This record gives sequence, C-alpha cells and structure tokens, in this order.
Amino acid sequence: MSTYLIRRLIYLAFQALAVATVVFLLLRLVPGDPVRATLGQTATPEQVAEVRGQLGLDQPLIQQYGEWMGNLVRGDLGTAITSARPVSLDVGLRIGNTLELIVLSTVVALAVGIPLGVIAALRSNKVTDYALGSLAMLGLSLPSFVVGTVLLLIFALWLGWLPESRYVPWGESPLGHLRTVVLPVLTLAAPFAAVVMRMTRSSMLEVVRKDYVRTARAKGLGSWAITMRHALRNALAPVLSISGLEVVSLFGNTVLVEIIFSWPGLSSLLFDGVTQRDYPVVQGVVLVIAALVMLVNLIVDVAYGVLDPRIRNS
Amino acid sequence: MESKRFDANGHPVEDTPNVGGQFWPAGRNGISRKRFLQLAAIAGSGLALGACGGDQQETAKAGPTGPPKRGGTLRIGLSTDVSEFEPHISTGAASNLIRIMVYSPLLTYDKRGELTGNLAEDFGWADDRTYEVKLREAVQFHNGDELTPEDVVYSFQRIKDPKTAADLSERLADVEKVEAGDGNVVRFRLKQPNAVLPYLLADPSSAIVSKKWIEGGAKPKTEVMGTGPFKFVERMPGVSVKLERNDNYFVPKLPYLDGIDIQPLAEDNARVNALRSGSVDFIDYVPYTAMDIIERSSDLVLKSDKVLGFGWMGFVVDKKPVDDQKVRQAFAYGMDREKMVQTAFSGHGVPISGGIIPEGWVGYSPDLEGTYEPDYDRAKKLLREAGLPSPSVDILSTSAYSVIARPAEAAQAELKNADINGKLVMQEWLTFLDTVEAGTYPVHVWGSTPDFNDPDFLSDYIGSDGWFAQYIKFKDEKIDELLLEGRRTVGAQEKRDEIYHDVQERMLDLAPWTLLIRREQGEAMKSYVGGYTHIPAGAWSMITLRETWLDK
Repeated sequence: MSTYLIRRLIYLAFQALAVATVVFLLLRLVPGDPVRATLGQTATPEQVAEVRGQLGLDQPLIQQYGEWMGNLVRGDLGTAITSARPVSLDVGLRIGNTLELIVLSTVVALAVGIPLGVIAALRSNKVTDYALGSLAMLGLSLPSFVVGTVLLLIFALWLGWLPESRYVPWGESPLGHLRTVVLPVLTLAAPFAAVVMRMTRSSMLEVVRKDYVRTARAKGLGSWAITMRHALRNALAPVLSISGLEVVSLFGNTVLVEIIFSWPGLSSLLFDGVTQRDYPVVQGVVLVIAALVMLVNLIVDVAYGVLDPRIRNS
Repeated sequence: MESKRFDANGHPVEDTPNVGGQFWPAGRNGISRKRFLQLAAIAGSGLALGACGGDQQETAKAGPTGPPKRGGTLRIGLSTDVSEFEPHISTGAASNLIRIMVYSPLLTYDKRGELTGNLAEDFGWADDRTYEVKLREAVQFHNGDELTPEDVVYSFQRIKDPKTAADLSERLADVEKVEAGDGNVVRFRLKQPNAVLPYLLADPSSAIVSKKWIEGGAKPKTEVMGTGPFKFVERMPGVSVKLERNDNYFVPKLPYLDGIDIQPLAEDNARVNALRSGSVDFIDYVPYTAMDIIERSSDLVLKSDKVLGFGWMGFVVDKKPVDDQKVRQAFAYGMDREKMVQTAFSGHGVPISGGIIPEGWVGYSPDLEGTYEPDYDRAKKLLREAGLPSPSVDILSTSAYSVIARPAEAAQAELKNADINGKLVMQEWLTFLDTVEAGTYPVHVWGSTPDFNDPDFLSDYIGSDGWFAQYIKFKDEKIDELLLEGRRTVGAQEKRDEIYHDVQERMLDLAPWTLLIRREQGEAMKSYVGGYTHIPAGAWSMITLRETWLDK
C-alpha cells in the first residue's frame, strides 16, 4: 500500500506541475492587461510601463515562469497585483471557507441521497419512487444559480428564517455562521444528492437481485438487516465512485454559489483574480484547487483499494 | 467651519461659499437659479431634499428628521471588494469610499455638489498662475501627528513621481512647484493657467498623506492612515472592512457614527436583498431593476441622480463605414433615446439628445438640446448620400455591466428603424477594453462618469491626447484649441460657457461618438439612516457619510 501511495504522490506532484505550467501560459494568452485593470484607462503608457517594470511583467515569459516556479518550490505563491498581499495569505484565509462548503455539502448530499435512494429502490415503480425520481430530476436539471436564488427568495426574503448573503465569520457568532452556511450548502448539495440518490437506487436494484440477497432472505433474515447489512453495503461502491467525481465538480460549482451568497472562499478569490487578470492570484488558487482535486481523487482511489484488495494489488 | 475663497487678485471673497471660485459665479456653481429656487421652496415645505445640479432624485421618504444622533455602526453592502488602499491610485468605488473616509484632500464637495474646503480653511487663486491654500490649524493624523504644509508638499511630490503612477500625475503637469509658505499656507505655482486645478485638489486621489509615515516605511497599499473622519481598523478580504470613528476629526462633532462596517456584496440581487432583509443598512450602485421596489418599500429610501452616469456609442473614425461623418450622424438620428431609456432602464434615466455637459455645470448649452431627436428618414437620407443605404455593422459592447449592455441592446434594436443592421458583439470587461483600444470594431457602446465636475473632463474623450480619442482615432484641431482655451481660462465664467458650448456644438457635428442615456444611479438605505445626501460628484458621492447618523 505504501508503494502505491508513494507512486501516486509522485504522480500527483507531476500533475500539479503540469497544471501550474498550463495555467501560467493560458493566462498570458487571455486578452486583458492586469496593469491596465489596476491603473484604469486614464493611465498613460509611461505609467503602465513603469508599473509593468515594478511587477516584472516586462521580463521575458520564460524568466517570469522561472521566477514563479522558483518561488513555488520555496512555498511562495507570489504577491497579488491588485491587493499587493501575499497570495498564500489570502488562500490561507479562504481555503477553509470553501472546504467547509464542500465537506458540509458532501455530508448533506450523502445523508439525504443514500436513504432516499434506498427508499426509491425498495418502493421501485411505485408512487414514492416516481415522486423521488422527479425530485432528483429537478435537482439535476436546475442550475445552481437558479436553486440559490430561489432558496434565497423563499427562506431569506419571504419567510425570513435564514439570513441572505451576509457572511458571518465563526469567530464573530457561531450560530450566525451556521445560519449563513445553510443556504449555500443546500444549493451545492441539491444536485449532488440527486446524483447519489439515483445511483443508490439503481445500484440497490441490481444488488437486491443477487443470489446472496436471496440466500439471506431464505435464511429468514429481516428486510432491515438484508437491506442494511447485505444489500446497501455492496451497493455503495459505485456510490462512492460517483461521489468522488461529484466532490471534484463541487469545486467548480462553488464559483457561482460563492458569488451568489457573497461567500469569501477560494472560488470567489479566483473569480476576482480572473476578472482583474491578477496572474499570481489565479495561478496560486488554480494550483491549490488542482492539488485539492487530485487529493480527493487519491483518497477515493485509496478508499477503493481499502475496500477491494484486487485494486490494491493491481 | 465656513470656507473662504480668493478673487483673481488673491483677496478673500466673503459673499458666497462657492468655491472653485471666480469661474463659477454665485448661483451657477452646480445649480441653476431656477432650480435653486425650486429646491429652496421644497426645502421650505419641510422635505429634506438636497440641492444639486441636474436631476437629483430622492424619494419622498427622506429618512429621519430632527437633530442628528451620535453612535451606532452603519453596515454598508458595497458592490465591490476593496482590493487595496493606495491613496493616490483609484481602483474603483470601494477603494474610493475607503479613501474618502480615511484620508482627506485639501478640498471636497458640499451637499450641493459644489467645491468647499476640507483640509483647506481658505483657498483660491492668488493670480492666474498661483493657487493658495491655507490649511486648518491643528489637524491631526490618526497616529496623533499634526498635519503640516510639508505633508501637503510631499503628497503632491509623491503624486507627480512617475514611480507612484498616480491618477493625477498627468493632470497636474501644469503644476511647476508646490511650496510651503508662512502661516500654514501652501502655494501651487503653475507653468500656465489651469482652471481645473481646484477640482483636482478635491479628487479622492489627491489625498494628503503623512510624509513621516510614508518615509517611515509604511506600505500604503495595505496600510491606511490619514486625517479622515474614520480610522481604518481591519480588512478581512471578501468579508468586511471595518472603520471606527476618528474622535479627533477636524470638523467638530463629525462624524456622527461610531463606525462603518463594509461588506462586499458584488451580486446586485444579493445587495438589494441584504438591504431589504435588514442585514445591511445601506447599499451602493442600486440596480435599476430594484429601484421601483425600493421606492415602493415603506422602510427604504433611494437617493440618486441622473447627471453623472452617461452612455455613448463610439465610432472609430478611420474605420469603414463610420469613417464617413454622414454615416455617424445617421447613427445619431437613427435612435429614439426616449424609447431606449424605457427599454434599457425601465425609465430610470434620461435621453441625451444634445450636449454632454449637464444643467448647472459650466458650459451647459440648452440650445443644443434636441440636436439629435429621432429622425429615421433623415438617417436613411444621410446613409443614401454616403452611398450606404443599409449598412451592416458590428457593434462591440460588454456583458460585464448591465448599465452598458442594456443600452447596447436597445440601440441595436432602434437602429433597425434607420435600416442599420447592427450585430452585437458582447465581451467580458477587460477583453472589451483591449478590443476598444485596438479599434477592432468600428462601433462600440460604453458608459462612464466624468472624473470631476468641470467640463475639462471632455479632454479625455475628444481632446486628441485623451485616452478615448486615441482609441477612436479622433483628432480635431479646432476642438483641441477650444479645450486648451477652456482650461487656460481662469476666472471668466461667461467665456468658459461659450468655449464649451462651441466644443459641444462641434462635437455634435463631427459625431465621433453619439451620446445615448444618462442613467439613474445612486444609493439606497433604510429609512432610519439620516443625514446622507447623494451628491452627483463622481467618486465623492459618499462623502456625506461623515454626516450620516442612525435613528434607531
């Protein structure tokens, strides 16, 4: 297992390097000048040239790349062009907020999706199944900006049960923070839960037809024990697989959700960085997000290995 | 403290607080006589309406009345997050707000949108090449140091230093020397007369900084320390910026608030929802889609103007088919701007059919109003004369801001009436700026606000050295001469009126751009927020936050 892990970690480092290089080059191809974005249209060409020089943006591309990689090796993500703050400082301040959304959304999606999937499977082709199927389709087809806005309208504006977009730090008020986290988490969890539910349902339907389930039933085991101990456990492998993919896609979904709910996470930092062409910010955040995504993939693969020795050995 | 001004010979003028002085006679600086009388009558009837030039809007629910109350923290939902705090470079509305709350320039705008003293107690032209400012006594920086004339001199040296890349360095090119005189006086010695100087001294980007603080190693991009009404406490990126009351502010009794808590709420709906639900007390950049809702709400107040924000259609004058003046004029006649106000902004704006300078400003030219009323037949005739009876043209705009995108869509639809087939090309903001600069498309739709309340702001747009004129390859010697003359004319109001009238007349005839709509823009707040006046003075719109108080 340890050899497998080391191999994967080395692979991960190379992947991160490739991502960093591609992002560095792609950003330079995108139209828009970060110095113009900072100084505005009224800045003279001389002023723009002066600031470009101060930021090292007048250096040859290969030199800029070399300096960035050199800093990266030393753990320095660089300094933001617009805010003049170390990128690692802002990433450090915000990464927890994004991970909080992702972890809580995953927990909610699994906690809602798996039981509903089981119920749908047990009531297959009955009204409950159809109703849950329709609900899942709704969750899958509605984009997050629609779900988020509708949730805001209902729970924040009409009912007034939850606050809308004003982020409250945990340190300021734990209860206030929990109240602000509900709507973005529900928005992110809705499509995720729908996927989990559908996968659990189909996987359960497949498993309950297996011989060992029939044997268990023949032994006289109760339906609860059969469902929980035999069917569900074996049905969860594909659910785990799809959940890994969904967690990865959550990183993308957080961009819109963080904007809608004014959530100060990595994705909103990335959004601001892109709109300002703040190269160090975009490079730093994309690298960190890429590393997190690779880490999630690694965890899922390792979990597979733990569950299934055949994968571990191969 | 009432401010004074000097006449052209440097003698104090006592009659009126009108600053910017001799070149705007009393009753004309930012407000017409008729308008002033109208507003005075309204004020007399008990409605707390602020006076200003142009169409300042305020709902009948004008907030609490009675003497201001001290205390409380105003929670502001701001349309952008503050990126950095460099005092001499503007990076947008958010950083401007922080700058005007924490730093102070020499001059500022009063509630009527007129120039008034800030750090300056007395100010005005000593002669047409010398501007004198007498500083208030015993003004303290937030660290307790006293403001000196040397700090003012240093601040302008820093602004003019190319390494700072300050907003105003180019505009202050006429300033040869800034020197500290006796008795807390600072003199600006100019190479040649420049009527715009007082407005530059009121710009948020001419903030006065502490020489000792900066030279002591402060990092002004991330650290903030000035003489303003509020002290900087902390910034949590993406979460908040907190300011607290400056107990030693140089204006007695101000500010009324204990502090300001600014939260970035970039998404328009999120910002409006936060105000409606009460999680913030005040928001900026009210989207036009929410203005009616706010006006109908009994607990919300909208304060706005239809003066500053203007939109235009620009033509790259060396690019076909708009290299022909007749084609450009056909575009100008081919749009019903009144309809466009309805289509684009649901009525929250006013059409611009004449000059760009609004009522109440130097150079306002009522006789030019209606120059480009919709006349589709005339537009078609002009196109035929140009040999292009039904041109197809790419029109560039940006999807980043609805205040630009919506008029672009409305213009495209309108132009069909004149047989002009416009194809909209919508781009993301910075890409759009690059594309306009490159002159890739012959026509674009854009919008902005004047940098200051003097018609010389037109130099940026139609003066051949102006950044915009260079984008559209526009150059006209006559306009250049007039703009230069207007800038050099200090203390002759009527002459400046004539000059800028001629500038606009020629601009309308040559049509390097055609103006579209003045959009309504402003702030909204809970009805318990008192003392705030929306002044149409660009980046200074929110200076009256220092006089704002909470009735709760």
